[in-house]
Amino acid sequence: MANAFSLYAPRPSSLHRLHPLTMLAVVGFCLVAGLALPGPWGPYLVFLFVILPLAAWGQVLPNLLSSALKIALPFAISVFLIQGLFWTGGTPIAHLGPLSLKSEGLLFAAQSTGRILAVIGAFLLLSLTVRPDTLMIALDQRGAPKALTYIVLATIQIAPRFQAKANTILDAQRARGLETEGGVGRRVRALLPLVVPLVLGSIIDIEERAMSLEARAFSREGKKTSLLVLPDSAAQKAARAALLIGMAAAVAAGIWLRRAS
Amino acid sequence: MIAVRGFTYTYPAATAPSLQDIDLDVPAGQFLAVIGANGAGKSTLCYSLSGFVPDFYKGTVVGTIHVGERNLVQTPLADLAGEIGLVFANPFNQITGARFTVREELAFGLENLGIPREEMLPRIEEVLRLTGLEELAERSPYALSGGQQQRLAIASVMVMQPKLLVLDEPTSQLDPVGTREVFETLDALTKTGTTVVLAEHKLEWIAVHADRIILLDGGRIVHDGHPHDVLADPSLPTYGLAPTRYTQAARLAVTQGCVPADRPLPVTLDEAVKFFSP
Repeated sequence: MANAFSLYAPRPSSLHRLHPLTMLAVVGFCLVAGLALPGPWGPYLVFLFVILPLAAWGQVLPNLLSSALKIALPFAISVFLIQGLFWTGGTPIAHLGPLSLKSEGLLFAAQSTGRILAVIGAFLLLSLTVRPDTLMIALDQRGAPKALTYIVLATIQIAPRFQAKANTILDAQRARGLETEGGVGRRVRALLPLVVPLVLGSIIDIEERAMSLEARAFSREGKKTSLLVLPDSAAQKAARAALLIGMAAAVAAGIWLRRAS
Repeated sequence: MIAVRGFTYTYPAATAPSLQDIDLDVPAGQFLAVIGANGAGKSTLCYSLSGFVPDFYKGTVVGTIHVGERNLVQTPLADLAGEIGLVFANPFNQITGARFTVREELAFGLENLGIPREEMLPRIEEVLRLTGLEELAERSPYALSGGQQQRLAIASVMVMQPKLLVLDEPTSQLDPVGTREVFETLDALTKTGTTVVLAEHKLEWIAVHADRIILLDGGRIVHDGHPHDVLADPSLPTYGLAPTRYTQAARLAVTQGCVPADRPLPVTLDEAVKFFSP
């Protein structure tokens, strides 16, 4: 299951045993609540009091925190610097040489960072606790287009192999004397002998893959079955319905609070 | 099982046919090998016998191909899945990429055919056993060796229980160990009564495993017979094929007077041992 394009972390947690659509509804609720609530602190509340406790329950808290920080920190630093220092007008609260920090800019940066944190946290929670193939099968069973779910899954697994193939071509061309280091011009010139075999080889691969899928009844019409059984329950169905209502309530609350303020 | 009558096929935009006037009968359960130089029409014959010609490739067709009661020339490809299996040279391209373990990969075709889960499970276990993949059932298909991946590709088709399995140079990218694994798998398959058509360059393996060989040249069948008769034929090099090393050694030994000239030329190791025995 280890895969550069899949973050799934198998753990013996009850969160991992939930139906994939239940987890999708949880994450949907986190996203909607995080983005709908007005003011800068709503997304932080969702991240701190919903996403992090769920990650701890799923035994993936260190993975989530580490990945979320890696993605969100560079964004946060840049947005605080740019918005804080270059906000047009506003109230200065500190001076850094010729520049001044504006309170409105910092508030906007805090709001943007919170939203990014909530979005990243929600997606990481889903990726770390739900096997991508079970999620796709669940969506498939609910009528999602088979071609779409196939593309998502195949990308997760095939993309790293595509990357490996590109590296092999790169090594082969270097062995033939192709210079890939140096200035921009040299790098651009080196692209053609790398891209052409990669693209042509991939086109041939795609034809074979399409034929192989056809030989295994991929485009056959009619009822499909599944080897994987996705345990579901009345309680989970009720929870999904409640979360959907919760999402609608969060949107309504967000609109009401914005109007009230 | 297979009845081909006056079959001629030309790819779209091609100026000459890739297969010409093919007449061929293959009884059920036979292991037929197809040999010939590059461009002789082996792959096209494989695609024709598995229904990809003309449905997938389009082009111009004359004649008929019947597999069982179906005329493949008039049957949509989707209706043939599960009845005819096709395996290619590159094992990597035959892994769906949509399943995370070997067992789930085997289930892919059955799921598309709508086979109930309770019927799926014993079928998968049986094929895992037949192909020697039991120990690898929970591994990622991408974590297997080339030979193991090709066995998985064959197993993925076998599990659909086709009446006919067509293989287009399945060992061309495999080392000797992988090649042996594939031929052992095909032996196991023929014991189940499945008809096998194999396009292959490795003549020494075909000599041991096939029931019959057809030799293609320029899109036509130029030789059809028992492996020994086809592979020991002195005209083989004129079709761009080298005889097996056993045949070559035996011819040299006869030329140099080391062995009497009246002995039948060997094409396999066992025959060579008898040939060179005093």
